Amino acid sequence: MARSLPGFLALIVAVALICCSFAAAASTFQPISESHRSAALETFDRSYGSLEETYEALQTFDVLGVERKPDVGTAACQSVSQTLVSSSSTLKDIFYALKVNGVLKCEVDADSVEGIVSTLQTAVGSASSLLEFYHSIGGLVLVKNQALKDDLYLADAEGVFRSIKALSQSDGRWRYSSSNPESSTYAAGLALEALAGVISLSSSEIDQSLIGTTKNDILKLFERVEKYDDGAVYFDGEESDAHENQGPITSTWSVIRGITSFAAVTSGNLNLPGEKILGLAKFFLGVGIPGDAKDFFNQVDSLACLENNRVAIPLILSLPATVNSLTRKDTLKVKVSTVLGSDAPPLKIKLVRAKDTPAIESQELKFDSANKVHVLDTLEKSVDVGNYIFVFEIVFNDPEHKKAYAVESKTEVPIFLTGAVKVGNAKIAVLDSDLGSIETQNLDFAGENLVSLGANHLQKLKLRFQLTTPLGHPFKPHQAILKLTHESKVEHVFVVGNTGKQFEIVLDFLGLVEKFYYLSGKYEIQLTVGDAVMNSFFRVIGHLDLDLPEAPEKAPRPPVQPADVYSRYGPKAEIAHIFRAPEKRPPQELSLAFLGLTVLPLLGFIIGLLRLGVNLKNFPSAAAPAAFAALFHVGIGAVLLLYVFFWLKLDLFTTLKILGFLGVFLLFVGHRTLSHLASTSSKVKSA
Amino acid sequence: MAKLAIFFALTLSFLPFLSHSFSPDTPTDRRILVLLDDFSLKSSHSIFFTSLKSRGFDLEFKLADDPKLALQRYGQYLYDGLVLFAPSVERFGGALDVAAVLDFVDSGHDLIVAADTTASDLIKSVATECGVDFDEEPSAMVIDHQNYAVSDVDGDHTLIAADELINSDVILGKTKIEAPVLFKGIAHSLNAANTLALKVLSASPSAYSAHPTAKLSSPPSLTGSAISLVSVVQARNNARIMISGSLDLFSNRYMKSSVQKAGSPSKYEKSGNEQFVTELSKWLFHERGHLKAGNLRHVKVGETNEPAMYRIKDDLEFYVDIYEWSGNSWEPYVADDVQVQFYMMSPYVLKTLSTDKKGLYHTSFKVPDVYGVFQFKVEYQKLGYTSLSLSKQIPVRPFRHNEYERFITTAFPYYGASFTTMAGFFIFSVVYLYNK
Repeated sequence: MARSLPGFLALIVAVALICCSFAAAASTFQPISESHRSAALETFDRSYGSLEETYEALQTFDVLGVERKPDVGTAACQSVSQTLVSSSSTLKDIFYALKVNGVLKCEVDADSVEGIVSTLQTAVGSASSLLEFYHSIGGLVLVKNQALKDDLYLADAEGVFRSIKALSQSDGRWRYSSSNPESSTYAAGLALEALAGVISLSSSEIDQSLIGTTKNDILKLFERVEKYDDGAVYFDGEESDAHENQGPITSTWSVIRGITSFAAVTSGNLNLPGEKILGLAKFFLGVGIPGDAKDFFNQVDSLACLENNRVAIPLILSLPATVNSLTRKDTLKVKVSTVLGSDAPPLKIKLVRAKDTPAIESQELKFDSANKVHVLDTLEKSVDVGNYIFVFEIVFNDPEHKKAYAVESKTEVPIFLTGAVKVGNAKIAVLDSDLGSIETQNLDFAGENLVSLGANHLQKLKLRFQLTTPLGHPFKPHQAILKLTHESKVEHVFVVGNTGKQFEIVLDFLGLVEKFYYLSGKYEIQLTVGDAVMNSFFRVIGHLDLDLPEAPEKAPRPPVQPADVYSRYGPKAEIAHIFRAPEKRPPQELSLAFLGLTVLPLLGFIIGLLRLGVNLKNFPSAAAPAAFAALFHVGIGAVLLLYVFFWLKLDLFTTLKILGFLGVFLLFVGHRTLSHLASTSSKVKSA
Repeated sequence: MAKLAIFFALTLSFLPFLSHSFSPDTPTDRRILVLLDDFSLKSSHSIFFTSLKSRGFDLEFKLADDPKLALQRYGQYLYDGLVLFAPSVERFGGALDVAAVLDFVDSGHDLIVAADTTASDLIKSVATECGVDFDEEPSAMVIDHQNYAVSDVDGDHTLIAADELINSDVILGKTKIEAPVLFKGIAHSLNAANTLALKVLSASPSAYSAHPTAKLSSPPSLTGSAISLVSVVQARNNARIMISGSLDLFSNRYMKSSVQKAGSPSKYEKSGNEQFVTELSKWLFHERGHLKAGNLRHVKVGETNEPAMYRIKDDLEFYVDIYEWSGNSWEPYVADDVQVQFYMMSPYVLKTLSTDKKGLYHTSFKVPDVYGVFQFKVEYQKLGYTSLSLSKQIPVRPFRHNEYERFITTAFPYYGASFTTMAGFFIFSVVYLYNK
């Protein structure tokens, strides 16, 4: 389990990395190109905080040959001389200041150099941790390389060598300090670089046995290497508490720096297999263009170290284009270059064979010295369209180069050869069940004319066509799909099968009624023929009017089709309330006319009374009864008037109140009046 | 000691104000957890992450199988958004599982899921729970022999130059995305019954989902325009989810790559990926398309105070304020399709509101002649915007007895008849009593 877990993690990393890169997916690696240079300008296009970041930016520009902005140099030089003069600078600051100086070649005065050298010398003497060794020795090496001071030697080189070596572990990794048991690959790289520095600074020869064991350590370190399927190798990063987050890129960078500088100062061979060195190069090329400045620098710096190392210089075989058109008569170009894109030594490229394709025999590519590419131009005569895996081999003109360079013995490259595939003999027909054809129509995929067919459930639809390659062989595309789409957007997809030479599909509607959900009506027929290497087409052939039986009750319902996104939302139709219509009324004139008519009986009554000759002779003549009679009639009039007011404005309560008073009054005066009238009439009778 | 305790208590009580977390007033997310398969993605997809950081998001990167993963602590969510850039993870580390991710979304947080051919069942089940079904077939990819990106090194037409984008300014920004979007990954489909999910980037009719090298023997499960490449889901609680079948879509490499669609003469220096991804993430993290409505009020025409009740056939005016979040402030929302309903069991009145372009929406209408307890309802749903749902209850009464018409001409003959009868009675009473 403990063994399988890292393996599983590595697999995940591998898969993720492969998926992130075109080049890796095609299993071919492209050397650093123009896109890297423009990306470098973007990634490092900002102000640099520390000298370390400045160095990373400058070094990246330097390696890629990108013109840096002039103002960066002056500002950086200023901070370099400040750091070198200041007494409070740490070892790390001095180290990176010297590194920046190495790129920029600032003017540093001799006094500060003396001071720095003595600081560094004491630091080497008193150093206990790996990082102190690394920075101080690295600083001294930089001083020496920049020729700031002549005759610079380390006093006790062998002692320093031994004390660094004491931090190494049996598995090839190194510890940061003797008190800290934690070890890492990253530290191993730093240690190797420091050791290389010690060797170059030593005045006398270092004990060969020490160097021998160090070389052994390097071999052990390489046993820890992780591997991808495409040949890329790397050192897995490890998480440690003190030095956070050293990913595979940083770890691998450190190791590459270490071994290349160690190999540069030691004589003899490191005995590292060339394929591992090539694998490291592949790893960094497979990363693509990192977005992170640190990763970018690590990638570029590692490749720069590999570009010019003494172990083995990796050469990358790349194809500017793996998709070649046979109709355009493209020639297959192969380029061999170093990781940074410089020219390779004179060599020949052989196309050994193509995997699973016996037709292609071994042949040598011609060298086009003007464009510095190797060309295979006899493709279209011998090879048909298709995707192949070509196997290339690199043969050096000078056998000596075989040692100095690391190349893949056999490079497998997937090649797509595209070309125009002819469609012919395309026919569509509706057949009766006894295979007697009713209507056969020729299809013309180039033209726009659509066919219109009709069929019922007892018939069959037959479609056939042929595909031929430019060399006249039958061609089988990856995608040959017939799609029937009903008006209600229910789709049915069929794969058109092929029988040797031709493609044919027969749709027997009798067996398909259930699948078609008994949906009669107009179906659109679409044919899609596509492949990576052909001129694919997607065409509506025409329409089919299908007459299917009525669906039985238990038949499956057609699936719901998604509603149009845009019509799903949007404003709804407005709703206005419809008010109840007022009741119908007769015209006003009519009402008023009838109002007039209601007055007529009263008038008739009055006229009748006048005609009868009514008189008021019976009205009491005496004062008191006359007053009571008058009040009685005024009272009646008031009650009637009260009704009018009740209609006009008064409410029931007020009316009843007033009516109560009036009633009592009326009762009183009415009684007096009526009793007076009764007594007078009885007097008259008795008289 | 006591002072210290008070200090702690104060600090704790201020904590909610100190953290820029998700709140109704500032709907934009702040803290985003990014789960990766591998830290190299941080570098290979740095343009996307940098654009998020530059817009003010706090990104926290973790490995998807980090044993210390947790979305919430003590019942409080630690993040406002989750980015799952870990297609191949079989099991999340720590306390995270599919249910925890869904709870995260259910509580209104946003989610980005990116898959690719290595997509694990875990990632697929997260997508399925969000209403998006990835192609079940392992290692099937979207292939399009018509609309692929022309490339010298990638010949199997799985690198698709997709340009069938959803037509929505709010989701994809006002600037049209001219260049095709590069896509390489797996297909998914949306359930037709799901009205919350939208296809943002769909495949062309000639696309299909299959293994690029294996022979196609049975019909591919997903073909044509039914294939969605990138979808978004806006849940009912306005949580937003983006599901992409391609993780590479977000990568620096695709963003910087030049693109030429097969059969098209125009070659673009840069693919549309960066614009697409940036604009979509702005929408996703609620920097756009988030609406706020409030101050729903209504008055009777000619009055200023809001009545407690309306009478039938009253004329009323209705107002509501709607604002849109622009990423840092609330801006007036301008649209001509906001509607109000006067609702009792069903809408009696449905009117489109007019706006003064300063966020105030207004209309006026007559109260229907039906009495009962009504509601003013504003239910606004628009493609890409968060949905609004507001309502306010208001009773409507019938006419009072004295509010009807008083003197009806039609009734005048009846009145005339009674009054003439009364006059006749008066005359008759006089005549009857005193005639001799």
